[in-house]
Amino acid sequence: MLIGTTPLEQLVSELPTIPNWDIEPVVLDGVEILQAQFELAATNIEQLLPPALHPTIPPLGHWSCWEVPDSPWGSFKLVKFRLSCRSGARPRTFLLGAFIDNQEAQQNLSNNWGLAARQAKISFVRSYDAAEFNVIVNKQLALDVKLRNPESLATADLQLFASMQGANTPSGVRLVQFDPSYEVNRTERYTPTIDHFAPHVWQREGIDPVYAVTAWGANTTIHLPKIRFVCRPDIDAFRGTESVAKP
Amino acid sequence: MKFGIFYELSVPRPFENGIESKVYHDSLAQIRLADEVGFDTVWAVEHHFLEEYSHCSAPELFLTAAAMCTERIRVGHGAVVCVPEMNHPVRVAERAAVLDILSNGRLELGTARSSTWTELGGFEADPDTTKKTWDEFVRTIPKMWTEERFSHQGVCFSMPERAVLPKPVQRPHPPLWVTVTSPGTELDAADRGLGALGVATAGFEEQERRLKEYRRRIQLCDPVGSVVNDQVATLNFLYCDEDLEQAARYGNALIGQFGQANSHLLFTREAYPTRAYGLLANISPGGGRRRTPAETNPGQSVNLPEGMAIGDPDRIVEVIREWESLGVDQVNFMLNALECIPQERVLNSLRLFGEHVIPKFSASD
Repeated sequence: MLIGTTPLEQLVSELPTIPNWDIEPVVLDGVEILQAQFELAATNIEQLLPPALHPTIPPLGHWSCWEVPDSPWGSFKLVKFRLSCRSGARPRTFLLGAFIDNQEAQQNLSNNWGLAARQAKISFVRSYDAAEFNVIVNKQLALDVKLRNPESLATADLQLFASMQGANTPSGVRLVQFDPSYEVNRTERYTPTIDHFAPHVWQREGIDPVYAVTAWGANTTIHLPKIRFVCRPDIDAFRGTESVAKP
Repeated sequence: MKFGIFYELSVPRPFENGIESKVYHDSLAQIRLADEVGFDTVWAVEHHFLEEYSHCSAPELFLTAAAMCTERIRVGHGAVVCVPEMNHPVRVAERAAVLDILSNGRLELGTARSSTWTELGGFEADPDTTKKTWDEFVRTIPKMWTEERFSHQGVCFSMPERAVLPKPVQRPHPPLWVTVTSPGTELDAADRGLGALGVATAGFEEQERRLKEYRRRIQLCDPVGSVVNDQVATLNFLYCDEDLEQAARYGNALIGQFGQANSHLLFTREAYPTRAYGLLANISPGGGRRRTPAETNPGQSVNLPEGMAIGDPDRIVEVIREWESLGVDQVNFMLNALECIPQERVLNSLRLFGEHVIPKFSASD
């Protein structure tokens, strides 16, 4: 069996801190999401995961962008890069990096849900026949994704997965299960290209998106819930899962 | 009640020191014993690229070897993937006919369309179209077997008139099945007069619900072949041991190892949103119906199935009686996963089952 091999502290250079579990759920209305999915080169993929998680075969990289028109912290755009994986037998993604363009949202997502994102300039464009998003960090292009050939899908055709993200928590260093629920109002599928990906800017040298799988866009209402489960990063989820709050 | 053994041919890492060869040859030894002790069918899947989970990419060859070393047990080519990027339908019909000849009319042919992105993506198959291509395959293969010459103008393939050779020895043709993973596929089977070959372990209640509707629908079917195969098979795990503690130990290891290997697979719907792949049944990680928040606990094992044939012979008889009462026609068993059970124990489990369980379900019992 393949399992993650790298300690969480080595995978995430600056772990965010969740000071307490007293989190107020937040609802984000009218969020536009774009997501591109690429197979990654599989060599040593287990080095990108902590021992609590294990990879899918093939490994799938998810690059997603949220355009949030309004929130308790104002409007913001958030780009996440996640790797498909399993926590126990559950399908999950592991957060490999994120960027955001609103400082207050950055702090709240970090303090409440352990979602560590760095500041960047983010562009999000969606038109009738195409969409794109890109990330510029200190004037350096970190990511440029183009989506073409939209095809409408039924909202039920979309399956979305929780992400596991490392954080200092009241329980110690843990993988926090970030598990928003989504009301999908509209969705479409695209053909993606990654015109530029700078792995060093993401502090993920060696990652290579080698094969385009698909992309999708959606208009959603996102419910950011209380954290329900965290996992010890060093042992499998069957032994290392801890309940934080009753659902 | 009929009994089958079911092979994914899972191979644990590292893939060296002849481990693949050992799995294949140990499996053939199990099949020889299963033939002797009274099992009815040996099934072998077709999978590609599924590291550890299944190294069974050429089941027709494996089953030919099985047929050559047995006398009575039927050989279930189940299921061949009916996706043209993987198999041309003519080649499926030809290979199956040869296997039917070499086994002296012991072939059962299962059909499927693959449920993983790992496989479909590997062949650059379009997930949106696999249901349609499967339908075209199952409607044409019986004609290739029964018509002297065959021609076709279709969506996934077309061909001018040719004699597809050889013809199978069973008349009118070997029984046809479809693998049932996603809920609802059993209805596709019923509507076409095909047997429902369960490949996802399902609990009693779920199986009963599916069976009832299958039986109703197949009465009204428009069969794709020359004969209706009104049979429902379900998938199970088998570890039979007179020592209950050992039975629990090895049986739970079997289920756990299968689940672990399964969890590496990248399911189609997970990678590629499409209406052609609904929520999968419990074979997929986190699959099945939409889950409540409490069920998202990664610390819980998912869908540990009820009704598993693990225990001493008496307990296993009880469990199978329950399946029988639901109207299941055949129970197929996985015997090992990732070599977690030593070969001698697998063989002993088969012997015990043959000696103490099968006679309880013989026609005269």
